[in-house]
Parts: sequence; C-alpha cells; structure tokens
Amino acid sequence: MASELTLTVNGAKQVVSSAPETPLLFVLRNELKLTGPRLGCGMAQCGACSVLLDGEEVRSCVTPASYAVGKKVTTIEGLPAIWAAEKKLSDADAARTLHPVQQAWIDEQVPQCGYCQSGMMIAAVELLAKNANPTVAQIKDAFTNKAPSPHLCRCGTYAAIIDAVQRAAQSMKG
Amino acid sequence: MSARAQTLGAPLLPGTITRRGFVKMGGALFVSLSVPAEFTYANGEGQTSLDPSLLASWLEIRSDNTIVARTGRTETGTGMSGYYAQVIAEELSVRPETISLILGDTDRTPDGGYSAGFLFGMENVRKVAAYTYHALQDLAAKQLGVPAGNLSVTDGVVSGGGKSVSYGQLVEGQNLDLKIPVSGGYAKIDPASPDGNGLAGLDGFTVTGEPKTKAVSQYKVIGTSYPVPGIPDKVTGKTQWSCDVTLPGMLHARMIRPATMGSSLISVGTLDKKQFPTAGIVSKANLVAVVSPNEWEAINAARSLASTTKWTDWAGLPGSDNVTKTIRAYPWGAPTESRGAKGPEVRAALASAAKTISATYEVPYVRHAPIGPFLAVADVRSDGSVTVWTHSSQSQGLRAQIANTLSISPEKVVVRWLDHSGQYGRTTFGGDGAEADAVILSKLTGKPVRVQWTLQEDLAWSSVSPAYVIDVKAGVDTSGRLSAIQSASYTPHQSDARLLGAVLAGMPCVTPKAGSWVATEWPYDKIQNRLEEAYGMPSIGSDATSSGLRGNIMRTPGQRQQNFALEGLMNEAAASARVDPVQFRLDHTTDQRLLDILNKTAKAAGWEARPSPHRSARKTGNAAVTGRGVCIMVRSNAYWVGIAEVSVVPATGAIQVTRFTIGADCGKVINPRQLDRCMKSGVAMGLSEALKEEVTFDEEKVTSTNWSRYKILTMAELPEIKVVQISRDDKGFGGGSEAANAVVPPAVVAALFDATGVHARRLPLAPPFVAGLLRG
Repeated sequence: MASELTLTVNGAKQVVSSAPETPLLFVLRNELKLTGPRLGCGMAQCGACSVLLDGEEVRSCVTPASYAVGKKVTTIEGLPAIWAAEKKLSDADAARTLHPVQQAWIDEQVPQCGYCQSGMMIAAVELLAKNANPTVAQIKDAFTNKAPSPHLCRCGTYAAIIDAVQRAAQSMKG
Repeated sequence: MSARAQTLGAPLLPGTITRRGFVKMGGALFVSLSVPAEFTYANGEGQTSLDPSLLASWLEIRSDNTIVARTGRTETGTGMSGYYAQVIAEELSVRPETISLILGDTDRTPDGGYSAGFLFGMENVRKVAAYTYHALQDLAAKQLGVPAGNLSVTDGVVSGGGKSVSYGQLVEGQNLDLKIPVSGGYAKIDPASPDGNGLAGLDGFTVTGEPKTKAVSQYKVIGTSYPVPGIPDKVTGKTQWSCDVTLPGMLHARMIRPATMGSSLISVGTLDKKQFPTAGIVSKANLVAVVSPNEWEAINAARSLASTTKWTDWAGLPGSDNVTKTIRAYPWGAPTESRGAKGPEVRAALASAAKTISATYEVPYVRHAPIGPFLAVADVRSDGSVTVWTHSSQSQGLRAQIANTLSISPEKVVVRWLDHSGQYGRTTFGGDGAEADAVILSKLTGKPVRVQWTLQEDLAWSSVSPAYVIDVKAGVDTSGRLSAIQSASYTPHQSDARLLGAVLAGMPCVTPKAGSWVATEWPYDKIQNRLEEAYGMPSIGSDATSSGLRGNIMRTPGQRQQNFALEGLMNEAAASARVDPVQFRLDHTTDQRLLDILNKTAKAAGWEARPSPHRSARKTGNAAVTGRGVCIMVRSNAYWVGIAEVSVVPATGAIQVTRFTIGADCGKVINPRQLDRCMKSGVAMGLSEALKEEVTFDEEKVTSTNWSRYKILTMAELPEIKVVQISRDDKGFGGGSEAANAVVPPAVVAALFDATGVHARRLPLAPPFVAGLLRG
C-alpha cells in the first residue's frame, strides 16, 4: 500500500506517496518527473537507470524507494549543482556551468541514441570521485566489472566514453 | 539548438492543427516565405499532414533570421540531425546552429521516408534549401536594386552594392509563391510490394528538379565537425524521450505474452482486487494486458495475471542448434534475385579452373537488442482520431500500418516521433514495436495507454535478423588469380514488418512475402565471371499464432552476411595462393577508391605483407598466438576496410581482439568527427556480432531473453581502434553511418586463421566453438 516517503533528491526534500517497495526509478520518473534515469532491463543488468545514492552508484530499477529514505539521491539533472557546490560557484556561474562529466560528454560527442548515457555519466562521476586520474584499463574495468553488471551501450559508444572520462578527469583537476 | 524545435507540452491533439496552432506549437514567430492565408494540407478533408509541394511545409524563416526545417526522417543516433542541419545551412549560406529541426511527426513534416535513407532525405532538404536560396537571391536583388549575380550571402545576410539585408528582413511581409516540385507519396499498404514487406512508398516524397547547388569547393559547413544538435539536451536530462510522454488519464500497460510462440489463449487469469485495486485486464484474441494508472501496480499485476493465464501447448520451432539443417531442408525453388553472369558461363569457368575452393558460411540469428525495450503511447479518441507517440524510424509507414490495423483512413492517424533507444533497422518498414499494443488497448479502454515492453519481452518477441547459410565457390587460375566466383545465400524472411500486437489480436496486418536479395556491391572487377544468387524462405515458425521468428532487417542488412562469405572466400583463396591477403585484393580490382583506402588503411595498421597463416600459427596449447586479418566492402558509394589483430588461446578458444583499424572513403565527408564516432561504434557492434551474439531458442520459444543470455560487447572487450578516412570532393556523398559493423567479422575470422591456420566459417566466435574447431 502507498505510504508517504520523504526523499532527498538532487538537494531537495520531496515527499512522495508510493508503496515502499516501488523501485526508486518509477518514483523518480513518474512522481518526481526526473526522467534522466531510464528503464532498460529492469533487473540490474545494463545500467541505464543508474543514480547516485550518497555518492554510490545504484541501479534504481531494483532499489526500493524506501531504501533511499535518509540518503541523498542524485540524478543527472542534479549533477551541475553538485559541481557548483563543490567549486563554490556564484549563482550566475552555476547557472551556466555543467558538471565536467556532462561537459565532457558533450565535447567528446558521446551519445548516439543516448539511452544508456545517463547511467554512463553516473558511473563516470562515481569513478572519478574515487580515482581522479583513471587509466584506460581502469575505466574499462569500472564500466565492465563492477557489480552488479557491466554498463551496456548497444550503439557501441565505449571509445567515446573512455575519451570523455579522461577529458572530464583533466578538467576536474584544473 | 535543439534537434526538435518543440516536443511535448503544447497541445498535441490531432485535428486541431490550424495554421496558427501549427506555428504556436513550433514556438516560432512566423514570418514565412510562401504564405497561404490558411495553411494547406495534402488532404483537403483532414489536417493531419502537410503539402510537400509548398515551401512553407519544409522551411520557415523567422524574423530573427533563424530557420525551422522539417523532415519526416528521424535521428537514430548516428548524427543525421546534424548532417541535415549542415546540408541546409550550406545551401542557404547560414550557420547550422540557426536551424531548428522538426523530425518524424506525420502532421508536421512533409516528406515521409525512413531514417536509414539519409542519402535520399539529404537530397530532399538540399534541393529545398537550394530552391529557397535562389528565390531569396531574386527577392534580395529586387529589394536592394542590385543584380543577383552581384550579391553575396554570409550567415543569412545578403550583401551587394554597399547594402545588405537579412533573410528575416527580406521575407517579412513577402508573399513568395514558391512551389517545391515533388514526386512520390506517403507509405501505404501494398500487398504486391516487391520488397516483401507489404508496403509501398517507404521512401516518401522525392524533391525533383535540379536546382543549382553549391560547388563542393565553396563548402564552408559540410566537411566541418559541427556538433550533433540533440546531444546537450540528452546529457543534461532535458530531452523529452518517447518514454517520457504522459497524458491526462493515461494508463500504464504491461503485456502478458503467450507461453510459447505458437500458443493460443485458453483462459485469461484473474487479479486479486484487494492486492491490485486500480488494475484492469484487457484482452483481445491472444493479446492480453494489464492496465493501471500506476506503473508499479501494472508490473506486479501483470506478473500475477501471467501466472494464472492459460495457453495451449506448442512446440513447432526446430531449436537454434538446428537452424542450418532447417534452412538446408527447405524445398528451394528459383532464387529471388540473381546477379552477375549467367549460370552456364560461371559453371564453365569453374569447370575449367586450375583449382576450385568451396566453402559454406553460416551466420546465426541475431537481434537489434536496444538497451531500451519497445515503448509506445497511444490515444484513440471516440471521434475516431488516433495519435501515437513513437520512436519508430518510419513514421508514415507506421501511420499506414496503424490505420490498416484499425481499419480507418490514414488521415485519422497522427504519429509523433521522439527520441528513444536505437532501432538498428528494425522499424525501417514502419512496423515492429509496441504501437499496435498501445492503440488496441487505448481503443478498448477508451483512455490513453502507455505500453512498455520488458527486456525479456523485447528479446523474445521483437523481430529478429535471420540466420544465413551461404555457399561460395571460387575458380582459381594457374597464376593463383580468381577467374570465377559463385555464391548462393539462403535465409528466412527478413522484411516482416508486422506489429506483434496486431498479429496477436487477430487484427489486419500487412502481408509479408518471403524473399531475399543480393546485397553485395561487387568490388572485384578483375574477376571476370561471377554469379550471386539470393534465396528466401518464410520465417522459421511462420505458421505459429504469433508468426514465429519474424525476420527483419538489421544494420547493414544482407550485405553483412553475404560479405562475410565473400570476404571469407577471398581470404581462403589468398591463403591457398600463398599471397598476402591485402595484395590479393589489390590484384583483383582496378577501382582506384578501393585501392586507395585499402593501401592507406593497411599502412595505418602497420600491415606487414606476407601470406596467412603466420609461420608460427598454432592450434593447440595454453599460450596465446596472435594474428591479423583484413576484409573490405563496398556499400552505398562508400569503400570500407577492416583490419583486425587478435590474440587467441587455442586450448580455451578465447579470442581477444587487441587492435582494430577501420578505413572508409564515403565520398565527401560531411562531419569528420561524427564519422569517426560512427566508425568506432560500428566496430564495437561488429565485434559484438563476431564474438558474442546469437539468438537461441528451443522448440517453444526464444531462450536468450536477458543480457546474460544474449551477450553483447562490454567496454572491457573494446580494443584500441584506429580510424582512417578519405574524403573526396568529386564522388558525391556516400553512406558512412551504418556499415562499419559489417567489416568486422570477416577481419576477425581472417585474423583467427592467421593465428591458428584454421578457417572459422560460422559466427559467433564463442570460446567453446573456437576451441572445438581448433581441436578438429
């Protein structure tokens, strides 16, 4: 049965009425209209639905909404604000600044159909928080071997993603 | 700039699209060229399509000198929206970022057509832009009092005689009666369609005439790496995808598919109303669904209903291990298409050859397998109007199919296109997808319905790229050169574009007709005698209630499979002649474009000229052996080369592709960076096909229904990729976005041979298959 859940999503408190076991993905998309994360496999096998939960990537398609209570949920819509806060940007600067990972995804022209790329960027943000200067081998490892599954891209944009992660790493240092 | 000037938000109801409404939805302050007082439509009765003979249907120039351009073709992820903007900008002498595109909506775009047909679509918008440019020149000449020949245009500002005027100023208040000459029509149902998909007119309207276009030497925009327009919005979360469509009162649906591909419904199960208070059951013939205003309830109720719904047993598939046997057993008649010399000449040449080489190549069933499963939203209204929100790459074909299924006029149907996961060819004929499910459910419930397929459903029930068995034979003369080649490819149907929902509901569908075609473009003009034959049979399981494994085209269709055999044969023949495989290809063509791209790509790969296999090739042991292999392909005015380097552990059959060099000459390159991206991503898909992909099924149904059973390439398996491009100013435009995948499998197979001395003649090169092959 539906109950009230208080979530912190992209820095804002949100009260939603959902069954507690509802996957976070459906709460974000249908209740909060945050459509960055998308449904892929629905069973944590592809990564299209990834969001950050207290900075850790989770697959929102299998994460109960109740599990996110008391934690900070970040979708791609919230990435610019994270970066602005980290860099203490003025409101004016923040409004025109994307997260370096997003900017790198644009500059390296990564998305083709783009369906998986929200999850790819979330994985990149998590990786760069842990390893500021990853090698190509470390990037491949992070996007392939980290549980619960590889991040899959059917268009085959893996080479572009590697380029973009390295570009983002450079700009985050600067 | 956005790839779409406008998506959702504004009212999107069919039948309300007046000229004013049209412009309002476009977000444009309207200052048009050709300005009829009230907008004219192709069909005088309805208001659901544009008249392609009117300039205003294609282009609007606003007072701020920005431009809205419209085409029924869509962005499938390869960057076509950027190319369209570049081509229009070039002909109009404006900056591409001033152009907004409206793509794929049947009521707001004039031409129809399918996305894979970029070269056709580009010619259309190029000619429209050229016609417009000349009309604007004439207007400017009058307004400035300067002869048109003395005018120049930069960034949409016309200058001459010390005066200047922008396009926006120029057209303000002008009534430019510019007609665009067109031929053709929208896609329609045609049971006699020679292509076997049951539709005609999939190319849509063609802009005719030969307006003077810019000389290639004058290009300023084409040939630059203009950023693909939709990317920033995709990256920031602003894009409205088809999965983001919500309508007032919309129901979420999940489908309950038959227990097997041939099952019929015995009884629909029941739902516990206490557990699922707002869910409902909808069914028609073998189409069964759960609907609910709450998506999570729909998901759970569908699981519950599936467990109590009863279906008949059926076991009519041969099983994927028996595909080749099944194809072989078909009573083949005459080929659907044959090309090249007449049979007797080739047979005589083969009979008189010093030596012949014969082989059979096999390609398994594979599928498009996007990351986002099919999805559609439909609103079927009591007034008979139908609106469908789709990610199909053939909106007008889909419109025709939906109208056919509902037995209504196409004028009643509006199809709106939005971004979604890639299609890789499966919606080219306007079918395959969730759209029929959605319209049937919307009609039955009287509410807007959003149908989301699951991954398992998509991997089991969407159309598939069918298996191929290809017999090839070459005659070799005394010098080791080929004197004749004969090939015959056998495949189940691959243009079945029916919508599954309509099939299962027993509603009208297009009539697919089995057949196949010769897809190769012959690259070896020095081989005097050749005969290529293509044979098509019905889909495997086509007599089932669901029509079985509905075959459909997939990226580089037909040619991917036929070229695998042809290039495999070339490598076998080169090895037999003890000639370096690059040199062997050079020896069999005089086509300078092929010679150039082959030489340049081989050089970039550091190719060492020597015959294959390598002298230290080995087919046993736990230590890795390495090898390299090459293949080529000619397709759509483009020349391709693939060079693979592999490392193989013979004992396990594990293959690692360590480096891949890909070369392309596709005439004038429109956007070098995006071509680079498409070439690299195409290599990734090609590696996936070479090493991993195979649709498996038992006698009842498809069994490769999740990502651990239908394996695709992961990032860790991606090798270093080197890209070689040749751009030519004198060869027109060629297809650069699609074909890269097809030059991967033959090159990997050749590299495996170089490393081990063993020819692999079937895909995928999964370790157990390779280990078994090497053991002999």
